[in-house]
Amino acid sequence: MELFFQDLVNGILAGGIFAVIALGFSLVWGIMNIINLAHGAFVMLGAYIAYVLFSAFHLDPFISIPIAFVLMFGFGYAVQRYVINFVVRAPMLTTFLLTFGLALLIVNVVLVIFHGDIKGITTSYSGANFTLGPVTVPWAKFLTLIAALAITVLMQLFMTRTKTGRAIRATSMDIGAAQLAGVRVAHIYAIVFGLGAGLAGAAGVLVSMSYSLQPSMGDPFIIKAFVVCVLGGLGSVEGALIGGLVYGILESFGSQWIGTGLQDAVALVVLLIVLVVRPRGIMGKATA
Amino acid sequence: MAAEAASGATLRRVGFGGITGSRGAFFACCGLLVVLLAVPSLHNGYIENLFRGVLMFATLSLGWNVIGGYTGYVSFGNVVFFGLGTYTTAMLWDKLHQQNIAIAIVTAMAVAAIFALVLGVPILRLRGHYFGIATLGIALATQEIIANIDWLGGGSGVTIRQIDNFSLYYYAMWAVCTASFLATFLIARSKLGYAFVAIRENEEAATILGVDPTRYKVLAWMISGMMAAAAGAVFAGANGFIDAPTAFATDDNVFPIVMAILGGVGTIAGPLVGALVLTAINETLWSHFPEIHTLFFGAVIVLVVLFLPRGILWLFKLRGGWRGFIASLKVYRV
Repeated sequence: MELFFQDLVNGILAGGIFAVIALGFSLVWGIMNIINLAHGAFVMLGAYIAYVLFSAFHLDPFISIPIAFVLMFGFGYAVQRYVINFVVRAPMLTTFLLTFGLALLIVNVVLVIFHGDIKGITTSYSGANFTLGPVTVPWAKFLTLIAALAITVLMQLFMTRTKTGRAIRATSMDIGAAQLAGVRVAHIYAIVFGLGAGLAGAAGVLVSMSYSLQPSMGDPFIIKAFVVCVLGGLGSVEGALIGGLVYGILESFGSQWIGTGLQDAVALVVLLIVLVVRPRGIMGKATA
Repeated sequence: MAAEAASGATLRRVGFGGITGSRGAFFACCGLLVVLLAVPSLHNGYIENLFRGVLMFATLSLGWNVIGGYTGYVSFGNVVFFGLGTYTTAMLWDKLHQQNIAIAIVTAMAVAAIFALVLGVPILRLRGHYFGIATLGIALATQEIIANIDWLGGGSGVTIRQIDNFSLYYYAMWAVCTASFLATFLIARSKLGYAFVAIRENEEAATILGVDPTRYKVLAWMISGMMAAAAGAVFAGANGFIDAPTAFATDDNVFPIVMAILGGVGTIAGPLVGALVLTAINETLWSHFPEIHTLFFGAVIVLVVLFLPRGILWLFKLRGGWRGFIASLKVYRV
């Protein structure tokens, strides 16, 4: 029973990061119908931003979160505005390959600059734990979960309470009507991609505290983001959060009961079952 | 909106002028295949390996093209069939000491067909990104499961004893590629091909016209998988060693898609042209910039997608010179 609770808590702690990663992925996918294969590379960039700030200025990773968000937002905005917008209405294969090419470019540029050796961030509280009944919780992971929840809430407020958020939702519902109402679609698309990249960057900072850093570290997160989006349903903030937590718990129990070598396979089999039985996700609505 | 629709229609007419694609390109590819038959007589190991790679990728790309190009179901996980093919050869040697390439190819194709049939019925109900993700999930899950089965070599892989006449692997790959090429030609000229394209263009309309979508989609996936599995069966023997990361390599998953796009999606000659051009680009980058050739490769993909989204072959049909080319680039812009 203790093991059960420990696995559950581990899953929830990991799930917070998955939720933030999937949030940006789901936004870009849901609104522009782009599967952003560079999303994992964006997560990696966020982690390296945290690493550079930490090793050069001893900046705490939690303080780096807004910095990484802003930098990655600008980068994402530029990429969408000056590259992806040119082919955004092409068949899905086009944007799929374009973002794959971008991911290769980004990962290899980082490889040239930082080389392939594994790096890490060790803060003063890295090894510290607290206990909650039978369960041990690392402080860093706990604070990461709190930060992830805060980011999710801020994102939800942005989407529902601000003019730009409303313009984004309008664009995703009916692009023509949004244009008639004065929404600049090229600009909104760039903002959406910027937000996706910014969230990936913020998630990357969170990742940098629990995972080791190397240029290809982002790749596994793409398939995780896929699964979370499918579990939670596409294009909703609460869907990404619930999907992320469910996925984290599934992976935690999967590695405990079936073996660490097969934990991804467990998640993927769940993905296939959900896709076939309930293609709109657990939280998804009945129609598109 | 009207202008958009018109330019879209023009592009479609130019891009898919009859589903067999260009006649000239088809005969050029036939000639190319005949020339490639002479490669082993050069007795140059490097060139033989290089062109066996071209033929392998061309086969994978032709296979992807059947489901992703003609039927319009973009699969991101066709490498699963390639991997099953490699493991078929590996197991034939490891368990039965069977080295015959032809037996390996036929068995691999049967394995792929059964796999595609069993998983195709539920998976092909999904559309668009969901189908793509499901296929990617199948490929990754299969790789991980196979890597964890000790009977199949587990994490340490399987060594395959190669046949003495090494060039036989080249001829086998050539035969597999040529057969896939001719099969695509025959499909594109038959009712089957038109059923695939009808599903791609409008599945509901195709259903009303009497095309049973499930049946044809599963059939397309089976054909696609059999081509990839045959290539995998030959590759395993030529490579002499198979483990899960080799059998389900990301490169073998993505390169064929890039090649099909580079040559022209939904054409017969496209995958072959794409495989040749992309291998040439990759080999040049590799020999001149070994350190950063993946970086350049990423740049090549980005440039191809931005400037040649409809493939090289399409350029020959483009009207209006430079102006027409620049106008075509703006079609998908927001």
